[in-house]
Amino acid sequence: MKYTFNVSPNLRQSQSTKRIMLELTIALLGVYAFSLFYYQMEEGSEYTVQALILMATSLIVAFVTETIWALCKKQNVKTYLSTSFGWTTAMILTLMCPISITPYALGIATFFAIFVGRILFGGFGQNIFNPAAFGRAVLFASFAGATTDIVTSATPTTIMASEYNWLTLDSSMIQSLMTKTGGLWNMFTGWYPGALGETSTVLILLLGVILALRKVIDWRVPLIYLGSIFVLSSAIALFAGMNDWLWYPVFHICTGGVAFGAVFMLTDPVTSPVSAQGRCIFALGAGIITVLIRVLANLPEGCLYSILMMNMLTPAIDQALSGKQLAMRKKTWIVLSVLSILGIGSMALAVQAIEPAKPKPVEKPKTVEISMSDEYVNSLKASIDQTKDNGDGTTTYTVTAEGFAAKEGPNYPDYNHPFEPNVFEITIENETNIIKSVRPIVIKDTEYIGDKIQHEKYLNQFIGKDITTMEQVEKNDVVSGATFSVKSSMRALLEVQKALQ
Amino acid sequence: MSLLLGPMHHHIPGHKDLSEHGEILEVKAGKQVFIPLYASHSTKFDILVKEGDHVCVGTLLAKCSDRMVIPIYSSVSGTVTGISKIMHMTLKPVDHIVIENDGKMETKPPFHPLDYQKASREELIAFMKDAGMIGLGGAGFPTYMKYQGNQEVKKLIINAVECEPYITDDLKLVEQHFDLALTGILAMKKMAQAQEAVIAIKKSHSSHLQLVETAVANINGVSVVSVPDVYPMGWERVLVRQIMKKEYNRLPIEAGAIVNNVTTAYAFANALVNGMPFVKRTVTISGNAIKNPQNVSCPLGVPASELIEACGGYTYDDVKLIAGGPMMGKTIVNDKFVVDRHMNAITVLANRPYDSVACLRCGQCCDVCPAGLQPVRIAQAGKIKDKAMMEKLHALDCVECGLCTYICPSRLDVTENVRKAKRQLTLAKK
Ligand code: SF4
Ligand code: SF4
Repeated sequence: MKYTFNVSPNLRQSQSTKRIMLELTIALLGVYAFSLFYYQMEEGSEYTVQALILMATSLIVAFVTETIWALCKKQNVKTYLSTSFGWTTAMILTLMCPISITPYALGIATFFAIFVGRILFGGFGQNIFNPAAFGRAVLFASFAGATTDIVTSATPTTIMASEYNWLTLDSSMIQSLMTKTGGLWNMFTGWYPGALGETSTVLILLLGVILALRKVIDWRVPLIYLGSIFVLSSAIALFAGMNDWLWYPVFHICTGGVAFGAVFMLTDPVTSPVSAQGRCIFALGAGIITVLIRVLANLPEGCLYSILMMNMLTPAIDQALSGKQLAMRKKTWIVLSVLSILGIGSMALAVQAIEPAKPKPVEKPKTVEISMSDEYVNSLKASIDQTKDNGDGTTTYTVTAEGFAAKEGPNYPDYNHPFEPNVFEITIENETNIIKSVRPIVIKDTEYIGDKIQHEKYLNQFIGKDITTMEQVEKNDVVSGATFSVKSSMRALLEVQKALQ
Repeated sequence: MSLLLGPMHHHIPGHKDLSEHGEILEVKAGKQVFIPLYASHSTKFDILVKEGDHVCVGTLLAKCSDRMVIPIYSSVSGTVTGISKIMHMTLKPVDHIVIENDGKMETKPPFHPLDYQKASREELIAFMKDAGMIGLGGAGFPTYMKYQGNQEVKKLIINAVECEPYITDDLKLVEQHFDLALTGILAMKKMAQAQEAVIAIKKSHSSHLQLVETAVANINGVSVVSVPDVYPMGWERVLVRQIMKKEYNRLPIEAGAIVNNVTTAYAFANALVNGMPFVKRTVTISGNAIKNPQNVSCPLGVPASELIEACGGYTYDDVKLIAGGPMMGKTIVNDKFVVDRHMNAITVLANRPYDSVACLRCGQCCDVCPAGLQPVRIAQAGKIKDKAMMEKLHALDCVECGLCTYICPSRLDVTENVRKAKRQLTLAKK
């Protein structure tokens, strides 16, 4: 019979840190799976493979770094790996990165996150900064350009930051913002390009609720963080005098990894205060900083930096709340109220400072105007081959006009086409001389030079114009590079004009 | 659960069904009983008997001569054979008076019964003091002191919560002797001049709630109140918080309450009615490594080994043998320790060690601490010997309820680390 001594108490609850980490891992996998699904559906397997490679790289770097460290410290590698939970850092870091990042850059960032962000601080439980956020900041600072050929469109956050200053009052601008970003619903569901795991607000919030119910994370942190962002951005909208402002806070919540940060990063217990009171202050502070960074510094990454800043303040918050929690309640309320007032106040000031994005004067696409009196146009030969009254009040002219091939032909270096003209069919309304259609019949200009003339958009611009008074047309982007052929078509029109005068 | 505070308690699976069933098993004292000379942290006693003296059940054996007078009585009849030092349930080696049991249980009540209805408040308090009534809920503090003052008492709270897992002796007492306990409650209510007496029982024990409710239905100013099934609901501070919705600084009386255990009320009534001191008690023998968990009734001074044997012995060969419940009881590495007045249970748990990992600062210990402390930070301050910080964090307010260790997902011995911090502080104060 053996009687074992143990200091009381002699019972333990069932939840363990290992299980907490396991459940967190499962939630992260859920987010990752959504991301894979999105890229597979929207972009195809090239993207999915890239997403897989990124995750694998980060995990491998994390495990290798920790293994080497464990070997250096002569610790049991398996125990070390299974109790340092480095993989969660790797997963979170990967999920914060855009798909276009190079595995190389992600690998380096993971190393920094694990080695500098964690091991050098003394390992799991000792680090000051959220290691994944730390790694992400390293990426921002040093690898901003390290992207692969994989093309991604701009994320809603960057669009909002770079084109809209994080504030716009103009309804057409709001409209265009919504069009460019795919709309609030898409942002809520996550069906848009962005960082791998940060897009689906609804999925992340759902997982957040489950994790909070399972006591894996503290419900206070995401609630206060998201709540404060909502309130503060609403305040901005109201101070700025926005009508229909509700979209604005929703936009703030749904973009830029705010939800992901709220559920998976701010709740990292290691880098947040230990008491519920401290965590409330922590989350409120992070909310205020996020919005301030967004609107004042005009950066897309308010969430990330707010996490790092509040991580830095965590020891101070803990210190300030040294005492019995019942007695510290008053102090906490004071701090929370002061922070709230400061937050709202700074929003009022911020509104003064930010220039809401105004619609820029509509920038015209680059155009070259070609007029009927253009020298080159007039140097081309043209003739009306046939005139046909269509019997419905319109007349169709078949016009042969010289173009590039006819004019330059084999004279032009490396160009062996014969001197052949182009043929157009031009239909005019008899009464009004309005152009009804311009159709290319035979285009002898080459692929590069002539094709684009056949583009509907180009020929359509003549429609509705009075042929007798027409002087010039715009050769817009659609037909860039087809100047010769444009001139050919102009020559054909000129011929009809002459015939009608 | 509020925004700025955790729940300050936690539900712990009670396993009450293990021992709640059936009758209380009467265990007779063996050849020898060992009466511990220990009362309220003191071991300074004037011994009033000598080797060879014949004693009866109820014979005064010794008197604590420290700060307060606490008498110790014999629980069996027989012959005093000497004094021996044995490990006490408090993990201290303590002198025990050894009595050779003659098996006759010859009884001599040491007190003159007192009718509480006729007696004055002062008489009752004096009686309680002379009878050496101590709190039987765990602390073992002299009870009369709670009633001495003249503050207004709004509620006398009778604690039948039994919040530690496995333990059911209070429930058994409510089932079997509530009539006698009620006498004690009424006497105490009179002493306290309390407006009302409430008997607190856990929500989950609906049959006991009902039983008491029927029993007190016609008595004015006595009622039963159901409290949530959480730990440590039975701690005064938590009970007062729950029932009075008030916090207090040092003593419940500041919040207008006196809290006493139901077993204490029973023992007091036994003295008033039968003139008998508390020399026999019910002990819950339970846990996952004992063959037949159940409640036993035995004279004080019976060694644990005899009770374990009466319950069929161990079922696991590496056990944690705990004097008391699994949360606050102490593990003792032999089964020679004996039943003392405030030992309500022996818990036997199979020893299955846990792996611990680093503290992840999850703050769960802070959320559940019923005293509202931040155990993780006290432990840290203790580690770096930062006395000022331990002081600031009110380390000494910890009641060692064990909840912080229980909850810690990293499986750290948080309570023990807080205890160490407390020790540093008390040493520094001396
Ligand atoms: S043992 Fe002490 S510190 Fe731990 S929960 Fe209980 S009262 Fe709080
Ligand atoms: S419960 Fe354990 S892991 Fe959590 S903060 Fe307290 S000591 Fe650390």
